[in-house]
Amino acid sequence: MSNSVLIIGGGIAGIQASLDLANRGTKVYLVEKTPSIGGRMAQLDKTFPTLDCSICILAPKMIECFRHPNITMLTYSEVKEVRGDKGDFKVKVLQKPRYVTADKCTGCGTCMEKCPVKAPNEFDMGLGNRKAIYMPFKQAVPLVATIDPSTCLYFTKGVCKVCQKICPSAAIDYEQKPKEKVLNVSSIILATGFDAFDTSAMKEYGYGRFKNVITSMEFERLICASGPTDGHLLRPSDGKGPKSLVFVQCVGSRSQRGELPYCSSVCCVYATKESILAKDHMPDTEVYIMYMDMRAVGKGFQEFVDRAKSQYSVNYIKAHPGGIAEDPKTRSLQIYYEDIKAGCNMKKLDADMVVLCPALIPKLDNKKIAEATGVELDEYGFFKSKNQLTAPVDTNVAGIYICGYCQSPKDIPESVAQASGAAARAAETIACLSKETKR
Amino acid sequence: MSENKQPKVGVFVCHCGVNIGSVVNVPEVVKYAKSLPNVAYAEGNLYTCSSEGLSKIKEAIKKYDLTQVVVASCTPRTHEPLFRGACEEAGLNKYLFHMANIREHCSWVHAKEPAEATEKAKEIVRMAVAKAALLEPQTEPEIEVQPSTLVIGGGISGMSAAVSLAHQGFSVHLVEKKKTLGGKLNELCKLYPTDMQSSEIVEEFVQAVKSNPSITLHTLSTVKNVEGFIGNFKVTLDQEGKDEALDVGTIIVATGAEVFEPSSMYCYGECKNVVTQFELERLMKEGKLKNPKNVVMIQCVGAREGKEGGRNYCSRICCATAVKNALEIKKLYPDAEVSILYRDMQTYGKDFEDCYQKARESFVQFIRFDAEDPPEVAVESNGKCTVRVRDILVNDNLELDADLVVLSTPLVQTEDAKELSKMLKVPIGADGFFFEAHVKLRPVDFATDGIFVCGTAHSPKTIPESIAQAYAAASRAGIPMALKRVRTEAITSVVDEVLCTGCGTCVKLCPYNAIQKDERGVARVNDVLCKGCGVCAASCPEKAITMRHFSDKQVLAEATAALGGD
Amino acid sequence: MSEKKSFEPKIIGFLCNWCSYAGADLAGVSRIQYPSNIRVVRVMCSGRIDPIIPLEVFMRGADGVIVLGCHPADCHYVEGNLHEERKIKMLKKLLALTGLGPDRLRLDWVSASEGQRFAQIVTEFTDQIKKLGPSPVSGKVPDQKVLENLEAARNAASDFRLRVLVGRERELTEKNNVYAEKVSQEEFDLLLDEVVEAEFFRQKIHLLTQTEPLSIKALSEATCLEPAAVLKQIVNMRRRNMITVDHIEGTTPLYRALEVA
Repeated sequence: MSNSVLIIGGGIAGIQASLDLANRGTKVYLVEKTPSIGGRMAQLDKTFPTLDCSICILAPKMIECFRHPNITMLTYSEVKEVRGDKGDFKVKVLQKPRYVTADKCTGCGTCMEKCPVKAPNEFDMGLGNRKAIYMPFKQAVPLVATIDPSTCLYFTKGVCKVCQKICPSAAIDYEQKPKEKVLNVSSIILATGFDAFDTSAMKEYGYGRFKNVITSMEFERLICASGPTDGHLLRPSDGKGPKSLVFVQCVGSRSQRGELPYCSSVCCVYATKESILAKDHMPDTEVYIMYMDMRAVGKGFQEFVDRAKSQYSVNYIKAHPGGIAEDPKTRSLQIYYEDIKAGCNMKKLDADMVVLCPALIPKLDNKKIAEATGVELDEYGFFKSKNQLTAPVDTNVAGIYICGYCQSPKDIPESVAQASGAAARAAETIACLSKETKR
Repeated sequence: MSENKQPKVGVFVCHCGVNIGSVVNVPEVVKYAKSLPNVAYAEGNLYTCSSEGLSKIKEAIKKYDLTQVVVASCTPRTHEPLFRGACEEAGLNKYLFHMANIREHCSWVHAKEPAEATEKAKEIVRMAVAKAALLEPQTEPEIEVQPSTLVIGGGISGMSAAVSLAHQGFSVHLVEKKKTLGGKLNELCKLYPTDMQSSEIVEEFVQAVKSNPSITLHTLSTVKNVEGFIGNFKVTLDQEGKDEALDVGTIIVATGAEVFEPSSMYCYGECKNVVTQFELERLMKEGKLKNPKNVVMIQCVGAREGKEGGRNYCSRICCATAVKNALEIKKLYPDAEVSILYRDMQTYGKDFEDCYQKARESFVQFIRFDAEDPPEVAVESNGKCTVRVRDILVNDNLELDADLVVLSTPLVQTEDAKELSKMLKVPIGADGFFFEAHVKLRPVDFATDGIFVCGTAHSPKTIPESIAQAYAAASRAGIPMALKRVRTEAITSVVDEVLCTGCGTCVKLCPYNAIQKDERGVARVNDVLCKGCGVCAASCPEKAITMRHFSDKQVLAEATAALGGD
Repeated sequence: MSEKKSFEPKIIGFLCNWCSYAGADLAGVSRIQYPSNIRVVRVMCSGRIDPIIPLEVFMRGADGVIVLGCHPADCHYVEGNLHEERKIKMLKKLLALTGLGPDRLRLDWVSASEGQRFAQIVTEFTDQIKKLGPSPVSGKVPDQKVLENLEAARNAASDFRLRVLVGRERELTEKNNVYAEKVSQEEFDLLLDEVVEAEFFRQKIHLLTQTEPLSIKALSEATCLEPAAVLKQIVNMRRRNMITVDHIEGTTPLYRALEVA
């Protein structure tokens, strides 16, 4: 019998659920696969529709999780096995070795300065570099360095060890082993978030071949002040600012071709947001959004789109481009589309840079979690609600709840609400069980 | 509270390994600190935040009878709670602690100018000591929280919140102005994406409410008055003319929404064959839909108006509802021609997009029009209608016969919302719906502590979205109630009642409604609601308001200490 | 005793806990270098900065004062930053009258993620103050006239009338008063200009006549106001018991300040 809750996934949904439960006195284990919590929201520059700085509103919550006496954060960890039932789950969690002793590391960053190896930075979508010993981003929580053994010279070639030599706190420990922990929890909340569909599969859009065709998450990292270009929107091919920028919606989504027929729900509004950010940075750049339906359905979103049109002169074109071609000299792009308003004539739009808004898909790891827990997945890999109408955060397994994007496409306010909702269900579980034991 | 003894400030200057020590000459700063007025003790540490460093602080407090402590190291935004904790453990009130940031604001940003950085560090320490000497102990008011909630509204959201709270172990008063529970769901028909009837769902939830002994149901009741604050709300209900008093700890607003009636738009009200989508649901539910041959649905009627003061929002659920009802009509009457005239097809997410595809496959006609060129409805002599629309996808004007025109109108705020918002002192947004504390991160909280919102009272949403949000409100309301007491902010403002002339400027400026005028007309700050921004203190025309821990005197002492004079 | 050292301004910065202070922290974390002249005072909200505070700081010889808050719409306390904007606007008008000039005071917005922006603003402002030179009231021989003016400005900023006007600005211009009337921003700004000037000179006259009784002509010379304007002030001040006739020389009354409750 346990009074604690396990939360799998350290993005905004996982963080919200953790804090709600911890703040009412419940013990929480927050398991996160990457070295830091924060998830997708930490990668965003600003959030719609308020244009709040994303990490600014997220970081205090991350720090609160870290300092909370009722939350045990297990970052760089994965759930391996789940046994038992509601009220009494036994979960095996494997903590991967960072090769850095967390208690000793002060986050000073000296090791990162001296490490000689560069590797693509996953947090920056590969657009910038990190070192072999790294912290995923400046406001990472916990602020502890991690060594990536696949690129580290010591682990690959047995040489270097500069970080160990200069660490002022003697925190480097190459001998660190993976640690297995067994947790006893009364309920589990799944909050694993999403990934992006690989748009290079759609050859007609040229992602991966044309340098100036990027994805929306790459755009976020470029426009973010803490990103690889210090917040300057620069074309990957020549480092110049684009004079024209085009967003293409529904890349891989609502596809008639079969794989991803659903709507990712957030792209229309985030494209509007990114357009506004682009115009803020470069008021003279022409910005276009090519869309099928402008799904600004949330609170304040339609007004946000109206503002983009009237205040920022963002151009909205109802069209779904057939293909994108590249001018090999300038590396600029030409987008071919049917102009619906002009009687569906074929038109061409020139663009210095194109941002593709890809379908957002549930994490592939959800399969592993589904196997370990017995929770059903739907045909796309989202965790299935027990009843789509009346039990949105429950699953087919009693005591296991779901929230956030991994349940179905949704934005941050909805993820936060659903996470609190899952926390309520977990709290109910504990209350009901304690009432039973009292009898 | 302040003792009139000479301040004895202890100063701890941190090397932070090499982070500070390699740029700032820490021993010099320690020596300088010792020379400052009011400093009784100073030392340097390698890592003040280490357990060793913290022990040294605690020892020094006891040994030297320190009255305040300054740590010169990194940013208070990460480490202040840690050092405050150490002071408390040594018996010193945690508000008698102050930090000097000589890392993020000094050694790290003036790394190439060690001499200037050292001078700056000295001045930062002098500033911190000047303020520290004036610090006074503060207490965080603690209030008891009643373990009961008032849920206003007995629709799907109110019922879900009530049941969740009851399961969490709290008592709930569920107030519903009608005789029956269920709200708008009582008038809906079949619900997509399942094949469930709305009435089945209502029945399920009503059973859960009625069978739970922790929920007290008050039907035919409205909220008449609310006083008090989180943990202790005193509510008066009007139950069919009789007053009933309740004491609750938290309040959840779940009052739902109304369906907009588009009078005189598209001949609504002139012709009985022009109905709203909501009225269509009722017709289908009561079996009164008479074999229509041509059904034309028009989307965005009275919504997304894009004009100053208009209903500019998208009501989120109308496209999905129209598509669902179109499919239902096709099922009942396979020969019926059903057309949906739309601007954007807002069938978002997984299930609605699927429904949209099904509708297309079932030959529901989707006709896209431009906002600037809306369709027109004309009533013919035989009572049927003709709908004219410019289809922008084929670039052609169409004329459609319609024996039933269905207008999709938005959800709008209820009539009583304004009254309720004044009673609870919670705001309503520009779109008419209740306005939450923070659009992204606190979607179900109000800025006023202890009051929450969920369901369509917050904004248009589907049933599962309402239920999830209702659970969220139940989770948030559960937190203070589970703790049984809450501690509120110590850094609050206080009014000098002698100086106050009752001008009321502060009352209007406070974003948390934390200042009210009492019976004598004198302003008084509610310690529990005040969040400590200081705008009242900065604005009071009589300089009658002081902000604890950030008084004018303290702020000026810190600022002017940098200028060499005291 | 080398006065040949180049001028290093003393700049006081008031930063709000939630945004600008965090932005300054991020500049540190990112090791972005900037001039070392700024001394930061942390407050919870930029709205805490009563106009009296920068004035006192200037009176003590600060060369520049900068207030940094959250971007509009981001304020942790909803709109403290917007209230501050109005206060600083009024304060700049006062500073223009003192002879110190409005450019030694700056209000700007820095979010918690804008480490670079913080460093940039500090660098710019430091340069700007360097160009303006040391404050006339700093150093061994402070300019007495400017110091007096600053004191008058501080007294004006402490006075009921100006404070209540600035405190009500939002209410008057954005919402209606009880009579459902609204004042346009332009009308309000004109009114504010008038009141700022009137209050400043009122306080200035009060200060001057505290040290010795003065005639209207003397006051006119000291304040550079037309005698008619001085007379108007005196009439107002007499009504408020701020000033009285001390004695008459020939046909010229000399006025003396009264202590104000």
